[in-house]
Amino acid sequence: MDQVRKVSRMDLNKTLIYGVSYLLALLWLLPLLWMIITAFKTEGSVVTVLSELIKPPFSLSSFIKVNRTAMMGQWTINSFLVAIIQTSSTIIFSSLAAYAISQIKFKGKTLVFAVIMAGLMVPVESTIVPLFQMLVDFGWINTYKALIFPGIAMPLGVFVLKQFYDGIPRELVEAGRIDGLNVFGTWWHIFVPLSKTATASIGIFIFIQSWNNFLWPLLAASESKMMTLPVAIPTFQSSFTTDFTVPMAANLLASLPALLVFILLQKNIVKGIAMTGIKG
Amino acid sequence: MNSSSERITMDVKNSRKFSQNQIHEMRENLSAWVFLLPFLLFYTMFTLYPIIKGFFISFTSGSFGIESKFVGVANYIRMFQDEKFWEALWNTIGFVIVSSPVIALFGLLMALIVNAGLKGTTVLRSIFFMPYMLAISVMVSIWKFILQPYTGLLNSVLHQFGVEKEIFWLAETNLAWTSILLATLWWTVGFNMILILAGLQDIPGELYEASNIDGANGWQAFWYITLPSLRKVLVLIMTLQSIASFKLFGQPWLLTGGGPGTSTRPLVQYIYETGFKQWDTGYSASLSYVLFAVIIIFSVIQNKLLSPRSRTAKK
Repeated sequence: MDQVRKVSRMDLNKTLIYGVSYLLALLWLLPLLWMIITAFKTEGSVVTVLSELIKPPFSLSSFIKVNRTAMMGQWTINSFLVAIIQTSSTIIFSSLAAYAISQIKFKGKTLVFAVIMAGLMVPVESTIVPLFQMLVDFGWINTYKALIFPGIAMPLGVFVLKQFYDGIPRELVEAGRIDGLNVFGTWWHIFVPLSKTATASIGIFIFIQSWNNFLWPLLAASESKMMTLPVAIPTFQSSFTTDFTVPMAANLLASLPALLVFILLQKNIVKGIAMTGIKG
Repeated sequence: MNSSSERITMDVKNSRKFSQNQIHEMRENLSAWVFLLPFLLFYTMFTLYPIIKGFFISFTSGSFGIESKFVGVANYIRMFQDEKFWEALWNTIGFVIVSSPVIALFGLLMALIVNAGLKGTTVLRSIFFMPYMLAISVMVSIWKFILQPYTGLLNSVLHQFGVEKEIFWLAETNLAWTSILLATLWWTVGFNMILILAGLQDIPGELYEASNIDGANGWQAFWYITLPSLRKVLVLIMTLQSIASFKLFGQPWLLTGGGPGTSTRPLVQYIYETGFKQWDTGYSASLSYVLFAVIIIFSVIQNKLLSPRSRTAKK
């Protein structure tokens, strides 16, 4: 009797956990799903009544309209260009700097490390005025340089990689030395290959940040052809209030690369976020 | 590098030891700076220099392209008397206080769900995390169409369930803040979930086995094992989230425009509008310094709470 009651209570618990979990997931999925389905509806169709939403006709007309009226391709290229250059430069520069701080003895090391670490606390939001003024003086506004350069020296990268390099066994470095590797060779042949996972984590972290960056590109690019997706999308959509299909098609097009990358690299992304987030 | 093998070699070549040592040291110094150069170049130009320059700009009045005038601490005095500044500051602090625990709590709930070994765990994790991959303007655009009155999805669904009132989600202060919070929660909770999940998976399974043998039930195990083990990661995400919330800008800027009126305008938006709409750069720079100071205070608190010493002291 007691046993039966215990079992049924466990079943109830289990059902409850499943119910709550799947319901929450459904709620979380809904906005995204709504965006995707709406993008495939024809202009003027009812998209706010769920039973109407899933009924055909579906078409690609909204995508065609987006392509005709917006520079979707250009904005996507801009976004990719900025994110890829920022990510690769950050990784290379951080790796070099972290190696020097972790492995080489030199005068002023403590000070350099402290100054770089202090940068962890500087949000770009608090330096937009002087940064903008500087780039106006350089004549760089509305150029790729303005979009890319301020986001290259990220202290987080140095911090995470330095910690990782500190843990690489001395014996490996000694062995490399005996094999005739100089400092640069040691970095390239020992530290770079051994830190692949850590480097990929930082790379993913920085890529997502760069891809989603909003405030700085909003200031750095005012010409439509220089805009990144996050900045361009609102300017394109501002004329749509009652038609949902064209804006949602634009949203879907803008999100497609990121969502594809996520589906393909899901495991690495999750690992990368966990590692970099916790270390940073 | 001061390796032992090199030291032995140097001892052997005793006669030339001193000069060799010096040359070696010089080469080490030189190579270190070569390695540091690219990073330091960009770091100095685009992080250090703007901080210092911003500090000087905050003591001037002027605009981009116009000769600026030194005005001492006038900007900071003006700030104390500026009601709009205080409104923006309290808006921001209020958002930090409400959003951080809410997002952490949902992150914990989702991490527990994903860690519970249910069917379709990978799908659940993807669904919870996916919104984080969207650009902020895409995210806000979706929510804008969900929340807008008369034609929005949410009101339309509510009407179908018999709610007759037209709810102005973005035009009433409290509802507007709720909307901003909701959108932010939906967007960023996945990031927090991943961090907590990593923390959950670090808890040794033996702890649960032992508590099971001792006759503890699920709730007790959660309360006495899971939560204490997550202390560090929960402090981490609370501070990360607080700092992110202090930098709140895109959500209100795109969703409510800071409105109704200026009642959802955060500090960063006030900095942006002062500097780049009214071109009052001196004042904008001094506002930036206040944001900077607030974030530094939070980072220091985070470091204090997370340092190993305070952890052992708490235990």
